[in-house]
Amino acid sequence: MKHYKIKRIGGNLGRALLLLFFLLLVVMPIYWMTITSFKSHREIVNAQEITYFPRERTTENYVQLFKLYDYRGMLTNSLFISITTGLCITFLSILGGYGLARYEFSTKGLMLLFFLITQMIPGILVIIPLYVIFSKLGMINTRLSLFFFYLISNLPFCVITMRSFFERIPYTLEEAAYVDGCTKLQTLIRIVLPVMFPGIVAVFVFAFIGAWNELIAGTIFINTSNLWTVPVGLKSLIGKYDVKWGVLMAGGVCALLPTAIMFAFMQKFVVEGLTAGAVKE
Amino acid sequence: MFIVLLYVAAVGAASALGILIIRRQTKGSGSIWTNLAMKRRLEPYLFLLPTMLLLLLMFGYPLINSIFMAFQNYKLTQVSKIHFNGLDNFRKLFSETDISLIIKNSLVYVVISVGGQFILGMTLAMALNKQFPFRGVYQAIVFLPWSFSAFVIGLMHRWSFNGEYGVVNDLLLKFNLIGEKIAWLGTPGFSLAVVIIAMIWMGIPFFAIMILAALQSIPMDIYEASYIDGCGPIRRFTKITFPYIKPTVIITVLLRTIWIFNSFDLIVVITNGGPANTSQTLPSYMYTKAFSSYDFGLASALGVVLMTTLVIYVTLFLKVTDYNKAGSF
Repeated sequence: MKHYKIKRIGGNLGRALLLLFFLLLVVMPIYWMTITSFKSHREIVNAQEITYFPRERTTENYVQLFKLYDYRGMLTNSLFISITTGLCITFLSILGGYGLARYEFSTKGLMLLFFLITQMIPGILVIIPLYVIFSKLGMINTRLSLFFFYLISNLPFCVITMRSFFERIPYTLEEAAYVDGCTKLQTLIRIVLPVMFPGIVAVFVFAFIGAWNELIAGTIFINTSNLWTVPVGLKSLIGKYDVKWGVLMAGGVCALLPTAIMFAFMQKFVVEGLTAGAVKE
Repeated sequence: MFIVLLYVAAVGAASALGILIIRRQTKGSGSIWTNLAMKRRLEPYLFLLPTMLLLLLMFGYPLINSIFMAFQNYKLTQVSKIHFNGLDNFRKLFSETDISLIIKNSLVYVVISVGGQFILGMTLAMALNKQFPFRGVYQAIVFLPWSFSAFVIGLMHRWSFNGEYGVVNDLLLKFNLIGEKIAWLGTPGFSLAVVIIAMIWMGIPFFAIMILAALQSIPMDIYEASYIDGCGPIRRFTKITFPYIKPTVIITVLLRTIWIFNSFDLIVVITNGGPANTSQTLPSYMYTKAFSSYDFGLASALGVVLMTTLVIYVTLFLKVTDYNKAGSF
């Protein structure tokens, strides 16, 4: 009995150490970024002594970021594009997911294969011809080009996720509503969607984060500074010889905050969404 | 202004189309769908119409375009000279001086990143698979990097591994692990290592989330039975835990491998392929080729090679791992 107890305590200690290791692994780079953003430029580029806590705390980096580099404009662009794509994708995924989950039809397998293929194609292979097409349509350097690109790059995954959520809801629930005299639209809005709330939130978060975090297409499709999204705008701060680390880190902190807060609050839904397709219960 | 209007119109049109579809469904007799069987057959297509239309127009069509481009002399700098040139692009591609180095980099990058993420993600999931105080808060923190942008993660690591002012050098010096500061991003080999470290850091949460969910779906009574039968922890893992989570592991590794292979924002942000292409991978090279020399033909040829490789990889992977049978144990 005693032996068993020692083993259990040992096991718990090992697990606690492991958990601590992962916590430090995640927190340390974030901590380093955050404190750098509050340091003065002088303190940042002091190779002799690297400080682990800012000696003089200053918000000059943040002030510069907003005053000098129009970070507000970037945030507005990013928010605008992310929210519109997010809403649009959520809506289309509800439709598509419902269609895939509730019907059997001959080309279903083919469609699923097509969705799978879209996940395997390197994004850049689509960006190159899209660049040509968008230029011909005069859509380069407009938000519309980014909107469409984010739409198609996130849509397949979101439709598949939504389908898994629909498949978890028993069809009998809908049948009961039909028997009670609901039309299809009423059933969908009053019965199915409320139950689907976690799925809908998850899909919106996926689409929003997908658009918010994207860099490559942004740098290619947009080239005037008033339309820059956050990553594209921040990237322009990396000069060839001179990198303003303080300002960049401040920008990084501000770029992470919205998605981090979103994730912290909706974590349960997001986790459910990520695992909906892969893990069968 | 015009752009904004067009934008609103596009969103509006997509929504209107959707609503129209649902409305169509709900209309009773008197609509064009008098034949019930016919209606039932067409219904799913109506639901999927907007999605498929968008994907075919914006994904399928460009994709076919780029396959054509791969066989053309397609340089944006000489638009008047665009013409088919057979396999020239492919020949040129494989005669590039650094191509074997870049292929090697891609392999190293993918294998170590996936391996590292898998091992660490699995460890984290196992550690999380038991109740402990503040587990919810803990989970929210360690899963956080999943929501982070690759761009910011790249910045973080680029700054931490900075040769002069970086925290990594400072810590290594303090613990006497190195004698003098290392120029991480300027040294061949090390620069790719920094990219891989950032990639592993970024992907641990995804693996942990997937594997944790799979672990939690294992019924407890099987473990109880194994205790009674006197099964040790190692056998419990190889005979119960692993077979149960195997389908999830397979699909996660597969998706992640493709995703990591294709993603190159970290490379663009941290090293931009340097020094001298030693941290360049195939997709990042394709990006550089396309948007620095505007040789879309060559870039597309590379893209077609990538795509073919991935399709072969997926087919082989699913065959070798016996995915269809993996679920039934």
